[in-house]
Amino acid sequence: MDSVRTYENKKRGVLLLIALAVITGILVDAMAGGSEQWQRVAIRLPLILTGSGSGWPITGGFALNIMLSIASMAVATALGIVLALATLSRSAFVRIPSLALMNFLRNSPWLVLLFAMLYIIPFEVHVFGLSVPFPPFVKAVIGLALPTGANLSEVIRGAVQSIHSGQWEAARSLGYTTTQIYRYVILPQAFRRMIPGWMNLYALLMIATALATVTGIQDVLTILNTSLAMESERAIVYFYITILFLFFAYCYPIAVFARRLERAVKGDNL
Amino acid sequence: MNRSNALIEIDDIRKSFGIFEVLKGISLTVGKGEAVCIIGPSGSGKSTILRCINGLMPIDSGSIRVGDHRVHELTSEKAMRPLRHQVAMVFQQYNLFPHRTALENIMMAPIQVLGHDKREVEERARKLLKKVRLSEKADSYPGQLSGGQQQRVAIARALAMQPDIILFDEVTAALDPETVKEVLFTIRELVEEGLTCMLVTHEMKFAREVSHRVCFTDHGRIVESAPPAEFFDNPQDARLREFLGQVL
Repeated sequence: MDSVRTYENKKRGVLLLIALAVITGILVDAMAGGSEQWQRVAIRLPLILTGSGSGWPITGGFALNIMLSIASMAVATALGIVLALATLSRSAFVRIPSLALMNFLRNSPWLVLLFAMLYIIPFEVHVFGLSVPFPPFVKAVIGLALPTGANLSEVIRGAVQSIHSGQWEAARSLGYTTTQIYRYVILPQAFRRMIPGWMNLYALLMIATALATVTGIQDVLTILNTSLAMESERAIVYFYITILFLFFAYCYPIAVFARRLERAVKGDNL
Repeated sequence: MNRSNALIEIDDIRKSFGIFEVLKGISLTVGKGEAVCIIGPSGSGKSTILRCINGLMPIDSGSIRVGDHRVHELTSEKAMRPLRHQVAMVFQQYNLFPHRTALENIMMAPIQVLGHDKREVEERARKLLKKVRLSEKADSYPGQLSGGQQQRVAIARALAMQPDIILFDEVTAALDPETVKEVLFTIRELVEEGLTCMLVTHEMKFAREVSHRVCFTDHGRIVESAPPAEFFDNPQDARLREFLGQVL
């Protein structure tokens, strides 16, 4: 019997028990009148997912959360690279202010940053006679990209510093300049090591997009709150469970994939 | 030896890490085509001497001349470039670039640093791989090679820069006895071809057979320097005698 009671087997058993409990719970609940509530959820599902009742065109909902996360991640990646290079700089005039900024952003509550952006960024900016508007979506993108970018810069910095110092020595002895060493030797190796961290951050960012409801964009939470006004109190529970599951279904595979990559990357050292 | 003819001329160099003085006034000259071995206990500054010669470590005082380069006066990596072209280095931990194949490892620096023609460099690289007897491993990544094979690729990489001098820093220390032989065989060939070599090593037998001169360092000083026969059979310094008594 000992061979059966390994850690992996126990883990699988527990997971199976939890899944069974959830399914039983849902079935029992459905017989007690829950199926009626699930039908209400099903009717509103297109609205929750896309922001329009018929499912097309996409004007908000969960799809907007995904778009927001992608846009924020793009900005955060650019910001993270710049911040990482700045914190790695040999010049103290560049390194110290960027370290301060990075630590400040990393230690700010995301919700507070979002609110701050809401009030700091003007409604529109006039440059050379052009008026550039800043809709709430853009403010949400910037508000979420700031802390994500700061965290990403730490991921990048960690990956760069994890490259063995012998690589620097070897490259220097071959006559490479510092810029060339980054370009040809360090960054190609560090890049592979930062991908898992980048994906983990993306999953976190996606979860955090729910906070963006405070900027007033038509994201899944805003839409839910408007439509719930017409629903019974009991139905609300079912709607929230659905939303939680949507986020889980989107983020969990990313986290699993990132973890698998992380394990794969650990092995390829030198 | 006539000092002005020497290829490497080190005069009274000192180097400290914090309060610990690693080199306490080292002077040494190496002539063209000479193979000099440096032996000594750990922490006696052997590797530091090599790193100072190609400018990987700045020195605190003294002077180093390599060919026409006054190493102690070079300040930027860019200014070091001609020096690094002339002096190649092979490391204990190989330090191959793991994201590139063996052939690419050899070709990278001549193309990216020296700006040589790609086709000409590839031809050179394949010849060097043949020389270290690894032609069939051209497309293998360092992770797929054994320690001895990686070290021979590292030697080929150093040779691809067409240096006048190669510095070997305990290149066999991380290898098992079986693969040590293949690496030493390669180095012996280079010495016989007349390449100037400086080797930090613990292989006493090899030092005796290959080198023209052996230096013993202890506590940051070169205590004894003599041709191998004299050095091993008739050591003058008491500390060297003790050291040789322990390792031989």
